[in-house]
Order: sequence, then structure tokens, then C-alpha cells
Amino acid sequence: MPSLFVFRGNNQGLRFELEADTLSVGRDTGNDVQLRDTEISRRHAELRRSGKTFVVTDLGSSNGTYVNGQRIESHELANGDEVQMGCTLMLFTCLADESAGDLADKIDIISRQQPGDRSRIVRSISQAEGSRILDSDPGAQASPWLARARSNLQVMYRTALAVSHTLDIDQLLQRIMQLIFEWVEADRGCIMLLHPETGRLEPHVRRDRKGLKRDDRLKISQTILDYVMEHNEGVLTSNAGEDDRWNPAASILQQGVCEAICVPMRGRYNLVGLIYIDTSISPQRVIQQQGATKFTDEHLKLMIAIAHQAALAVEDTRYYSAMVQAERLAAVGQTIATLSHHIKNILQGIRGGSFLIKEGLSRHDEQMVGRGWEFVEKNQDRISNLVMDMLTFSKDREPETAPADLNEVAADVAELMAARARDKGAELVFTPAEGLPLLVFDAEGLHRAILNVVTNAIDACDRPADDAAASDEPCDQENRQSTQTCPGRIEIAVEFDAAERLARVVVSDNGQGIPADEIDQVFSLFVSSKGSRGTGLGLPVSQKILKEHGGQISVTSNPGEGSRFELQIPAIFAESASPTLAR
Amino acid sequence: MLARRSVLVVDSLEETQEVLRTALASRGVEVISARDSSRGWTLARQHQPELVVLDLECDARSPSLAQRLVEEQPNGPPVVLLGKARQPQPPGCSVVGKPYHYAALLRKIEGLLDGTTEPQSCLRCSYSGEITRACGSS
Repeated sequence: MPSLFVFRGNNQGLRFELEADTLSVGRDTGNDVQLRDTEISRRHAELRRSGKTFVVTDLGSSNGTYVNGQRIESHELANGDEVQMGCTLMLFTCLADESAGDLADKIDIISRQQPGDRSRIVRSISQAEGSRILDSDPGAQASPWLARARSNLQVMYRTALAVSHTLDIDQLLQRIMQLIFEWVEADRGCIMLLHPETGRLEPHVRRDRKGLKRDDRLKISQTILDYVMEHNEGVLTSNAGEDDRWNPAASILQQGVCEAICVPMRGRYNLVGLIYIDTSISPQRVIQQQGATKFTDEHLKLMIAIAHQAALAVEDTRYYSAMVQAERLAAVGQTIATLSHHIKNILQGIRGGSFLIKEGLSRHDEQMVGRGWEFVEKNQDRISNLVMDMLTFSKDREPETAPADLNEVAADVAELMAARARDKGAELVFTPAEGLPLLVFDAEGLHRAILNVVTNAIDACDRPADDAAASDEPCDQENRQSTQTCPGRIEIAVEFDAAERLARVVVSDNGQGIPADEIDQVFSLFVSSKGSRGTGLGLPVSQKILKEHGGQISVTSNPGEGSRFELQIPAIFAESASPTLAR
Repeated sequence: MLARRSVLVVDSLEETQEVLRTALASRGVEVISARDSSRGWTLARQHQPELVVLDLECDARSPSLAQRLVEEQPNGPPVVLLGKARQPQPPGCSVVGKPYHYAALLRKIEGLLDGTTEPQSCLRCSYSGEITRACGSS
């Protein structure tokens, strides 16, 4: 879906999905795209669908609408266009013309046996060999021009590599500067970026030739910087006039020559920053080289090309960072909203319990007091479980392993949950594994993982009494849907596979099951099919614990028949036990 | 004391159902309960309760149970909605924001059953359990 992503401004991180055919953009609350920006008019612009894209039209706003830095009245947006209104900068994205589905219809991968395919491999080349395409060939009688062209291409190839694999802007700029110093004989250099909001130049990287005194301050002419930024052109400067080089009286023969190159870092649409390098030529060298310069037009051209590549990479990194930040904020927002919701429900439960206690006390009704206290205790457990799940999920921790009895851990869960299952009219059956030795695992972690799965199994068997009463269907294994009317049954079985060195806890139930289109989501954070009763944390936490043990959790389910969760860990035997020891 | 009156509670939280059942039983009001709105609709037609308490979180379907109760049963029961109403609710519905205090909610239910409270009022129960303001339905 086409969208506008705000990557600068008060709404930074917001993405507006452009669903309607016509959308208004402005500061007022009535706008489809409302932007909190005092530089934006109340009704600033309009977006109107045009095929797969949108046309943006300025509605006579005070400060105008800009697309890719150009003020527009009306403009058809293309994928990747930058739209600026006031201080808000947005990136427009829309689907490419041909979706992957369309292309799949146009490309055939022919099997080897097919008669139409007569191609054969003539020559193969490795990635490493391919990257040496621009290396000079010592045997070839190349012209100086060709040698230079080859060298320049090599520099650009390396630049492309340097900018392609970093997400840190300063690291990226360091690489660029290092590359420049390897290729050109510069003494000092720096890269300055324009601050996106203040528009001021800020130094990011400084590099000096090895052996040069580093405490020198790098002085750069404001005139040169202004020229480069205003004209968007690279410049090569020298403190020597052409005539001075041959004039023995000129100061350069006493003090040497200082040359500099300053190039703009021009991105897709805007200036991102500047790259500056300079060099000093000693008086002796000026005389030896008869006035020849160190920096040439070719250096200047190549510097411009490098700066452009670097600018594109800086822009991409900024877009990417803004999107990552937006996703982080969205995730934090979702987490807070979901947890607040559950805590609110738990508080409501405690409040209900407290109310019944108060009512019961005033009416001298002990039964009512007892019922209220049950609610308070139940909700204490719920908040305790929620906090423990949150802690387990948030901690990047190593399991605290020690020799333990998996049968005992699973039996403890079964005992703990038996009352809850009974309350729901369900039966909970536990079957320990025979011949299971002591294993090394995090008993507390596994206890929590099994507990979460068993809690879900009991909830899956739970259904309202009014539903049960309303149904007259018999409890019959042949009639799959009838499991809804059967008493709930949850089985916890521990299994031990000595040959495969695996231990499993299998939790199966005859509850409502999980629909096929939801089963892939059961381990996703904050996804719960239990509505207000589920936190969406339980199964992700169980999965995390199993993964921490090098194990796994899997599920199979048939709607109407029930579900089967298998929690598997590698069996690491305690030193004092062996797999042959039957208990 | 209210005699042989019935209230339908539609809420996915067992505690809410149970607290209202216990508290209203001691006031002579029978409570029937449902966990979701479709079951709630069935029970509403079966039992013809005098009042419906509906958690808005259970009423995501369209048309909502609140709408059906009011529009398809013109002389139907008043409805107390629990939670935050995201859109204007039909006349005859009162909204009680969450988290609510049961004492205030029960006063509201009793008032509606007795006819001493206007059904078209909007009611907010603050954390202190007091009614902080009442306004007309929008």
C-alpha cells in the first residue's frame, strides 16, 4: 500500500497508509494526514490517487509543498520521493509496477531434462576472482590513459564496497576517508555533514597522513565552503597563482604550495555534506617538479564521484535508522498498551474480590467473603505470573542448569494445576517417564514453560456452563465436534528417548483446538486467542526457555479435537546418573 | 429490595460475571451470563432480561450487540456498556468507563432497574468510585 513515512519533524516515525482515493494533509485534526507542525497550514495539501501512485497538490499553503527539494503546485509522486511540508520531511513509497506474483508468471526455470534447454557451462569464475577485474595486468602494454581509467574504476569499485555494508554513518565516513587517503597523496582531510535540522556543517571524520603532526588545527576557508554549497560544485584550490610558480621571488618558493579539494556530498535530492582534503608541497618539491601540482582535475572528478556514493549511503542509512526507530517506538507502544490492558483487567478482578469481601463483611456473609478472597488470590497469581513471564521474556539469560528430575518438575505442575482444571470441570492426568535419569536443566525455567502450556490446555477445555447446558450432543469420539460437550481432559506425559538422548514433556488436551490459520501465530508475542484472559506472553516465554536449553516446542492441533504441545530438550545426563539407570 | 428481576451480564472475564452475580443475587436480582456477544444475543432473546451489562471488548462484531438490542428490540432492556465507547452508542445505552468501582456500577444498575436513573445518560466512575459527571448520549 502506498504510504508516507515521516522521518523528520514532530511526527517522526509515523507512517500514514494512503488507503483512501483522496486524502487531505494539514495541521487540523480533520485531516486524513494530520501533521503536528506549526509551519504547516491547517489545510496544506491534498493527495489524490492516480493509478498506483498519488498526485500531491498544494492547497495554497503559506509555506509551500516541496517534492525532492523543489517547490510544487501539483506533482505526481514516484516511489522514494521526499515530500516536505513545513519542517516535516516524509518519504513516499508505493509498490513497484510489477509485483513478484506478476514476474513469476513471466520467468520459467527449466529443468535439466527439458528438451528446450541446451545451455552448458563454458567458464566459471569465483567471487574473489571477479572482484579483481580491475587489477592492472603487468603483461599488458596499456596506455597511461587506460591505466588511469582502470585505477579510477578500481577506486569506485572499492568505494561501492565500502558504502554497502555499514549501518553506522561515522563508520561509513571513516572508511571513505581511509579509501581516499590510500588513493590520493593528501596530508589532511575531513568530512562534514549538514545537520538535518539546523543546516549547520558538523565535522564527523578527520584524518591526517601518517607522520604528520596531529595537533594542527585544520583551517578551511569559509569562502570555499560557501562556493561548494552554493554552486553544488567541487573545487580544486591552490594558494599559488600560475605565474608565481616561475617567479623566484614569489613566496611559494620559500614556503611551498598548499592545494585543496573540496567536493559536495550530493544525495538523491539534497546536499548531505562536504569532503575536504588538502596537501602541502615543499619548496624543494615545487622546484624539482617544475611547478607540477599534486592534485589534478582527475582527482577532483573522482572525489566528486566518491562523495556522491557516500552521500547516497548516508541518506540510506538515515532512512533505515528512522524506520528502525519508528518500529522500536511502535513495539514499545504496543508492549505498554498490551501490558496495561492486562494489568487493568487484573486490577478489575482484585477490585471485584475486594468488593465482595466488603459486602460480605457488612452482611456477615462468610461465603461471600470467601468468594471475594478467592478472586483476590487468583488475581495475585495472575499478576505474579505476568511479572515472571515479563522477566523471563525480557532477560537475555543463560539457563541456570543443575541436575534435576524432569518427572518431578512435570508432576509439580500437574499438582499445582489440578485444582484449576477441576474448577473448569476438566480432568488432569499425569504420566511420568520410566527409567528417566537425572538430567541437567533449568528446573525453574522448565517448570514455567510447562506451566504456561498446561494453563493454556486447561483454558482450551474451558467453555461457559451455559454453552454446555445448551448442547444435547452425546460425548462421542466419532463426532469430532462433540468434544465441546465432553468433559475436558488434559494429559501431561514425560517421555525419554535414550537412543536419541532426548527428553520430552507432551501436553495434550481435548479442547477447542487451534484453527489452521492461527497455528503459525501461537508463539508470537502478544498474540492470544483467549481475549481478555490471555496475555500473549505464555507461549513465547515457553519457547524462549526451550530454546535456551537447545530444545524446541512444537504444536499440532485439530479444531474441535484438541491440541498437542511437545516440549523437547536434549538429555544431558548428570554425572551421577547414566541412561541405563532406571529409577 | 428488588424481586425476581434478571440482568444479563456479557463479559469475557469470569470475575466480573461472578461478582455481579453474587452482589445482585443478594439484592434479589437473578444474573444470567455469557462470555461473548453472540451467546449474549441468544440469551437476551431467550430470557428477556430487564437490563444488559455488556463489556465493549466482547462486542467487536458488526452490528454490535448493543445496536441489535436497541434497534431490533425497540422496547428492549436498557444497556450498560463497560469500557471505552469508540463511537456514539445508540440511545438507551449508558457507558461506564474502566476501571470501574462495583459499588457505583451496582448503584447504576439498581437505578436503571428501579427507573430512577435515565437510561440515556453517560456515566463515568472515577477511581474513587464517585460519579464525576453525567452527560447526554451523543
